[in-house]
Amino acid sequence: MHAPLPTTDAKITAHEFCLFFGKIQALRNITLDVRRNSILGIIGPSGSGKTSFLRAINRLNDLHPACHTEGLLQLDQTDIYHPQCDPVALRKRIGMVFALPIPLPLNIYENVVYGPRLGHHCPPRAELDMLVERSLRAAFLWDEVKDRLHTSGLRLSGGQQQRLCLARVLAMQAEVILLDEPCSGLDPISTAKIEEALTTLKAQHTIVLVTNNTKQAARVADETAFFLMGELVEHGPTQKLFTVPDDPRTNDYVTGRFG
Amino acid sequence: MRVPPKYTQMAAITLLGGATLLTLAVLVFIIAFVLEKGLPGVTWTFLSAEPQDMGRAGGIFPIIVGTLLLPLLALVIALPLGVGSAVYLCEYTRETRLTRVIRFGTDCLAGIPSIIFGLFGLVFFVGILHLGWSLLSGGLTLAIMILPTIIRTSEEALRAVPYAYREVSCSMGATRWETVRRVVLPNALPGIVTGVMLGLGRCISETAAVIFTAGTVAAMPTSAFDSVRTMAVHFYLLAREGISNEKAYGTAAVLILAVLLVNLAAYWMMHAFIRRRAR
Repeated sequence: MHAPLPTTDAKITAHEFCLFFGKIQALRNITLDVRRNSILGIIGPSGSGKTSFLRAINRLNDLHPACHTEGLLQLDQTDIYHPQCDPVALRKRIGMVFALPIPLPLNIYENVVYGPRLGHHCPPRAELDMLVERSLRAAFLWDEVKDRLHTSGLRLSGGQQQRLCLARVLAMQAEVILLDEPCSGLDPISTAKIEEALTTLKAQHTIVLVTNNTKQAARVADETAFFLMGELVEHGPTQKLFTVPDDPRTNDYVTGRFG
Repeated sequence: MRVPPKYTQMAAITLLGGATLLTLAVLVFIIAFVLEKGLPGVTWTFLSAEPQDMGRAGGIFPIIVGTLLLPLLALVIALPLGVGSAVYLCEYTRETRLTRVIRFGTDCLAGIPSIIFGLFGLVFFVGILHLGWSLLSGGLTLAIMILPTIIRTSEEALRAVPYAYREVSCSMGATRWETVRRVVLPNALPGIVTGVMLGLGRCISETAAVIFTAGTVAAMPTSAFDSVRTMAVHFYLLAREGISNEKAYGTAAVLILAVLLVNLAAYWMMHAFIRRRAR
C-alpha cells in the first residue's frame, strides 16, 4: 500500500498490533511506521480506533482494567509492551495533549513545571524559570500570560488552556508528542496558533496528531493514516492520500461522502 | 385545571424558603436558649478554676482540657488511618466484590450506636488491654467510632476529583503516588475536612462511649492513663444527677462556643490553603 520506510528512520513502529478491551477488539493488525521528526496525522470516523492507537503508544490504555495487546509496538526499536518496560519511564518520553483542555488545578507556572518536577531529580528554580518561558513561547502563549504566571490555569480561555497543555508537554522535553483532537473545541485563531506551533516543533519532536478535521491533517501532517473500524485502511504521504488514495473508502472519507 | 406556572413558582419559593427559615429558626432558638441560660454563669473563674463539690461550685478548667485532649487524640489516631484507607480503596484498588463489601461494611459501622463502641472499648481497651478508664482508652474508642465516617467522606471527596486530572498526571509520567500527593489529595481536601469536622463533632458531643472508656474523673489529667471528663459528660452528669442546673447550662454554653470556634478555625484554615494553591 505504501512504500516501506527504512527502519532506522522510524521513531514508532507498529507491527500487526492488536488492542483489546476485554472481549472487544479496538485495533486490528495495525502495521505502520512513524518517521522521526515528522507529523503523522490520523483521520477516521468516531470509534475507528484513532484515540485507542494514540493511547496505546503511551500505555494510557493500561488504566483500563481489561486491556491487553497482541503484536508489536516499538519506540526506538524497543518493545513498549515488554514486561520489563516501565510505563512511568516511557510516559516521561511521550507527552500527550487531550481533546479537552485539562489544565491541572494549579497556577500556570506549576502546570508547566509539573512534568519536570516529577521523580527524584528536580531541576533548580532558575532552570525551571527558563523552561517555563521557553515552553510557553513555543506554545505561543508567553506574551498572553507572562504577567500572571501565578494565576490559576483554570482562569484562562479554552484556547489558552489548550496551549498551556501543549506548553506543559513541551516542558517535559519529551521525544514524542501525541495530540488527541487538540483543536476540537477551539476557535480558528487558536487552532492556527497550535498548528503553527506543531510545524515548528517537529524539528525536535515526533508528532502524532489525531484529528476529526481532515483539512487539519491536510494542512500540517507529513503523512496521514486513515483508520476505519479498528483497521488501518491506508497510510501514506498526506498529499497522495488526499489526492489519489489507493483505497475507495479513503477516497469516500476525504471527499466527505461518508463518516 | 392547570395551575399557571406563575403560581406554582410562587408556591415553590414559599415552601422551600419556609423550610429553610424554619430550620434556621429552630437552630437559632436552641443556641439562643442555651446561651441565654448559660452565658451569665460563664466567668473567668468558671473557665479557669477546678470544679468543687462535684461541680456545684468552682469552674470547669480540667473539663475543658479533657474536652480538648480526648477528641484531639481520637483525631490523631483516626485521621491518618481513615484518609489512608480511603486513598487505598479509591486510588489503588479496582472496583471488585471485595471493595464493595468493605464499603458496605464501613457504611454499617458508621450507623452503629456509639454506646456499642463504648461497650467494645470497655471490654477491650479498659479490660483486656488493662488501659483502665483513661484518656488513651477513650481516645482509641472514639477513633474507632469516627473511622467509618472519615473513610466514607474522604472516599467520596477523592471520587469527586475529576478522573481527567489523574489521566493527565499519569500521561506525564507521574507514579500513582505522585498523582495522589500532588493532584488528588489537595483537591479532595475540602471534602476530607468536612468529614473530619463531622467526626470531631461526634467526638466532642459523645457521652455514652466516653463515660464507658475515659471515665468521669473531673481532675487535671497528668498522663494518657488518667481518666478525663469532657464537657458533654459533665453537662450530662450535672443535669442528670440534679447537681447544678446553673453550672450545667454554663458548661453547655462553653461547649457550643467551643464547637463554633473549632469549625470556624477549620474552615478558615481550609480556605487559606485553597487560596494559596490557586489564585
